[in-house]
Amino acid sequence: MLDIQNLNVVYGTGRLRVDAVKNVSFHVESGAAYGLVGESGSGKSTVLRAICGLAPITGGRVRVDGQEVTTPRGKAFYRTVQMVFQDPYASLHPRHTVDRTLSEPLAIHGEKDAEARILQALREVGLGPSFRFRYPHQLSGGQRQRIAIARALILRPKVLLLDEPTSALDASVQAEILNLLDDLRRRLGLTYILVSHDLAVVAHLCERLLVMQHGEAVEETTADALRSGVASNPYTQALIQASRGFTRADKPSVQALAG
Amino acid sequence: MTKPLLDVEDLRVRFHLRTGTVEAVRGVSFQLGRERLGIVGESGSGKSQTGRAILGLTPPPGEVTAKRLAFDGIDLTTASKRTLRELRGGRISMVMQDPKYSLNPVMTIGEQIIEAYQAHAKASRSEARDKALAMLEAVKMRDPGRVFSLYPHEVSGGMGQRAMIAMMLVTDPDLLIADEPTSALDVTVSMEVLRILDELVTERGMGLIFISHDLKLVSSFCDRVLVMYAGRVVEELEAKNLREAQHPYTQGLMRCLPTLANDVRPLPTLNRDPSWAL
Repeated sequence: MLDIQNLNVVYGTGRLRVDAVKNVSFHVESGAAYGLVGESGSGKSTVLRAICGLAPITGGRVRVDGQEVTTPRGKAFYRTVQMVFQDPYASLHPRHTVDRTLSEPLAIHGEKDAEARILQALREVGLGPSFRFRYPHQLSGGQRQRIAIARALILRPKVLLLDEPTSALDASVQAEILNLLDDLRRRLGLTYILVSHDLAVVAHLCERLLVMQHGEAVEETTADALRSGVASNPYTQALIQASRGFTRADKPSVQALAG
Repeated sequence: MTKPLLDVEDLRVRFHLRTGTVEAVRGVSFQLGRERLGIVGESGSGKSQTGRAILGLTPPPGEVTAKRLAFDGIDLTTASKRTLRELRGGRISMVMQDPKYSLNPVMTIGEQIIEAYQAHAKASRSEARDKALAMLEAVKMRDPGRVFSLYPHEVSGGMGQRAMIAMMLVTDPDLLIADEPTSALDVTVSMEVLRILDELVTERGMGLIFISHDLKLVSSFCDRVLVMYAGRVVEELEAKNLREAQHPYTQGLMRCLPTLANDVRPLPTLNRDPSWAL
């Protein structure tokens, strides 16, 4: 479904040159969920942004459904690939009602039957028709993220790019959104690429994942390997250790992070 | 323990708004010795307002009342502004969530630590400077002399947070309130910051109030945990007994987190019982 070969993203030139992503390659089959894990500045979000055209592809190839993407991306691309952003407080227009937010992609793509599609999209994300004419400030964080997911799904895309979809939410709300994403993938046969700093969230939603550090791919591994604590790379090992909570005597893991 | 360091009874924080009165903290009581106390809750549970009310940092138009709010025998509700100023930053310090917003952007890190020290101790400039450098070393800065002359925008988040901890501990406080000190940091960096905090608190015998939304982190870091919901403490328990939590809210919070250890799906969600908020 999605094939990425030697992706490079470079910002600036000369002294100000920043190599945000260096030679990252991975492949995601149709219907799979793939995770990108790393700390801030590791380039994981930049990979997502490069796929959907929000960051420049300086080198390498991005193929979606067997076709290499064009810059700028065409309408057909956005019918296939949609994105959900991290902060539902920032990604919804504060002065647009839910109805307007959801009808905009339909209008852009000349879709008919907007009314029925909007009601269906709301149903899919577990919200009733009563939410249709509300403004974002009348919704809770979890409800907002559901609207953002509904907006992404309304064009029936095949690939959903999820950039930290639950990190701005409380733990109990995070569980609801993760369940929703799990359920939608099964029902609609979606392909996910999930970016998160939380190993447990990635292991919950994805089968395979890529660990990134300083813009480079460090290790490709599976959720099962993470669960059993197997990691060949010391950085991955340190991340697993850190995700288990604070421990008073584990000085060695700090050394692995210095690099 | 004879006398608690901090004694809070029936603490309430109210905000009188146009649309009515919102009670953010509704009768919180606890005592703190020289230990690590965690306050956990979701957004809006009143955990941060509890921490701020202790220091007298409730933003206007907030109103704080308490049957008792005493720090080391000093009644904070009736204390003069002058006394409060001496306590605040001197004997009680607070580490905030995000170093990007809580450090002064136009002062070097060294200057800020010196300023904090000289506000509370009669010390010459060179003494203060030595103290600041020693403090930067205590928070494991690799090159204290260099960090001393840097501005906050020139350091990373983890270094900024360590600089803030240095600034807060330079006056040797008896009580440190840390409000989500690691939420803005990467998980591995936050472990490093916590380890430094842990060492300093243990060495100096301070009391620590650690406010966080992360139940897992708090239970691994603190001695005792207060779980807050809708402005009340719904459960108080030893951190190591968190798994035996009695209150359905605490149990629900524990269960709804995905873990690496076991794969549960769908994740159990929290069914909020209106009676919890009563």
